[in-house]
Amino acid sequence: MKGDMRAAFLIPAITILTGLLAIESQAFPLNSKKAPQSEADLLLIQEALFKAIPNAKAATVCIDIGDGTGSGVIVTADGLVMTAAHVSTGVGKMVTVIMPDGTKLEGETLGLMAEYDAALLRITGEKPEGGFPVVEINRSDDTKLGDWVFSLGHSGGFDKERGAVARLGRLVRVANTTFQTDGTLIGGDSGGPLFDMEGRLIGIHSRVGPQLPVNMHVPVKVFLGEWDRMLASEFIGEGPFAQKPEKGKGFLGVATTDVDGGLEVTKVGKKSPAEDAGLQEGDVLKTLNGEALENRDKLKSILAELAAGDKLKLEIIRDGKDETINMRLGAR
Amino acid sequence: MEKMKRSTCGWARVSAAILLVLAASVGVGLSQQSLETNFRTTGAAVTGVFEPQRQAIQKFSAVIYEGRREIAYGVVISADGYILSKASEVDGKAGLSVRVDNTSYNSAKVVLVDQRWDVALIKVDAAGLVPADFAESSDLPQGTWVVVNGATSRTKRRVLAGIISAQRREIVPTGGAVMGVQLAQAKGRIEVEEVSEGSGAESAGLKKGDAITSVDDKKMKDGDALTEYLKTKKAGEELKVSVKRGEEKLELQVRLSARGEVFVELTRNDEMSGDFSKRRSGFPKIIQHDVLANSDTMGGPVLNLAGKVVGMNIARANRAETFAIPVEELRKIATDMVRQVSE
Repeated sequence: MKGDMRAAFLIPAITILTGLLAIESQAFPLNSKKAPQSEADLLLIQEALFKAIPNAKAATVCIDIGDGTGSGVIVTADGLVMTAAHVSTGVGKMVTVIMPDGTKLEGETLGLMAEYDAALLRITGEKPEGGFPVVEINRSDDTKLGDWVFSLGHSGGFDKERGAVARLGRLVRVANTTFQTDGTLIGGDSGGPLFDMEGRLIGIHSRVGPQLPVNMHVPVKVFLGEWDRMLASEFIGEGPFAQKPEKGKGFLGVATTDVDGGLEVTKVGKKSPAEDAGLQEGDVLKTLNGEALENRDKLKSILAELAAGDKLKLEIIRDGKDETINMRLGAR
Repeated sequence: MEKMKRSTCGWARVSAAILLVLAASVGVGLSQQSLETNFRTTGAAVTGVFEPQRQAIQKFSAVIYEGRREIAYGVVISADGYILSKASEVDGKAGLSVRVDNTSYNSAKVVLVDQRWDVALIKVDAAGLVPADFAESSDLPQGTWVVVNGATSRTKRRVLAGIISAQRREIVPTGGAVMGVQLAQAKGRIEVEEVSEGSGAESAGLKKGDAITSVDDKKMKDGDALTEYLKTKKAGEELKVSVKRGEEKLELQVRLSARGEVFVELTRNDEMSGDFSKRRSGFPKIIQHDVLANSDTMGGPVLNLAGKVVGMNIARANRAETFAIPVEELRKIATDMVRQVSE
């Protein structure tokens, strides 16, 4: 597509050059045949894989969300990762991103589309010099039925000795919000990348059917349609791939008593979000998200409007000094 | 395939790795297009282009039967009827027969088993078989085409193709090596409290109430000492276990199994994997490919596009992973086993 457009805008004097450009960006030649017809055709597929896999693999990460792992793929040098909503499970969650060499980096989930199993997250850990390895997104929406494709993913979890597992297949079903391929996926692959034969990202692994050749992916155009909202950490749509945390069900983990100027912490729950954030007995909580904490009812009424994962900014007095604590509400 | 039942199955807390949401609602709309089965990766139009490799498989990929049931494939390694297959699928089965090309050979016998690699050497009475053509190397980059025997009729082997899908490596036994017994400390000795079904301990004849006195001629003072010793061993290796049964003293050869295969706990990934191999871990070295398979299609050759053997299928590990013994090791295993039975 891009090549055609470029050619159309160029003046006749450089027709030969535009011709070359058009060839360079032409679709994988074998995709125009219904099936490979010779060993030469098979070698075309093999050569394309040899060329595409190393780069694609370098950007395919494992995502550890605490009680399971999925996969994801880095698409910007500053560490933006595309994955599945059922892997990220929510907005603003802390995850561990495992690079192909085993390096573990912190990450934070951004927005997601609960209805279509699409999500973004950002690696917040230290960037390598020169940025993260990335894959190119195929934005042209020219993927079509029968195209040869390959999947990568950390099947069953991270295994450094094995590396990301590659699977070859064809696009056997194309619907508006789903691609189906016959390259088999398994748990742990969720959120991992589906590529065209030029190594451009065309989808994200989502789910499987009971039969081995039934494997579903979310097309990248679904992501691109809501890219900015996801980037802005919006929780878009309702289930089935992620559940919105319920308001008022968040968990802070402190007991307080009313004192002059706020609420004094009388107890901090073991392993509570409050403890993780460093709240201590004796701290006086003055404000929460800018609102003065006049009494315990006020705290309750603010928390009733918040859900697990929401950001909290607490202004407190500790040992006579003002301090600010930024944290997130936990799940009960 | 098209009319599969779909159910939504949300995020569940699973102890093992995640998580493909099983078959959620997929938009079945008018805009949907579907590729004819014929042109899918397993379809005849695609597998048809692998005819040269199929002809090689027709000659030297054996089909192993228990009675009339196909239980495994095998690799023909000599003109006079030596065939390699997957031991845990064929060993101990009665009424084995083998089909190579169009000929059926009755009274096939497992003449030797290599526990470490889970390889059985089968012998049939034959002459003039075409032995497999071994490639030089299995050092193949991810994405290399491989071709295997995927299905068979009486007269014709069919092929399926895929790619080398991961790095060559060792597959350590799942959960370490075990004999398959529960032990108790009683009267200053280690007593067998229970023997697990299908374990090496069971096939060696270890019984409840036996007192284990030494292992590999080393005195074992308690269960912990035995556990420590097992940590130095791998599944597939054998232990010499000295036992006191009443007044009787016995010596038993116990083959170690992978913990995950004796004490089976199905993970969510296992549940979506169909019929996988019972023994799928504890291999010193493997290559991995993505060809569709099940436990009955292991033991056959893995070919490159030149029609040469780069490996032998040894385990269907799960829905997305199949392991094969690399040709370098396969060549050694074949030579060693044939030498051993000839001596």
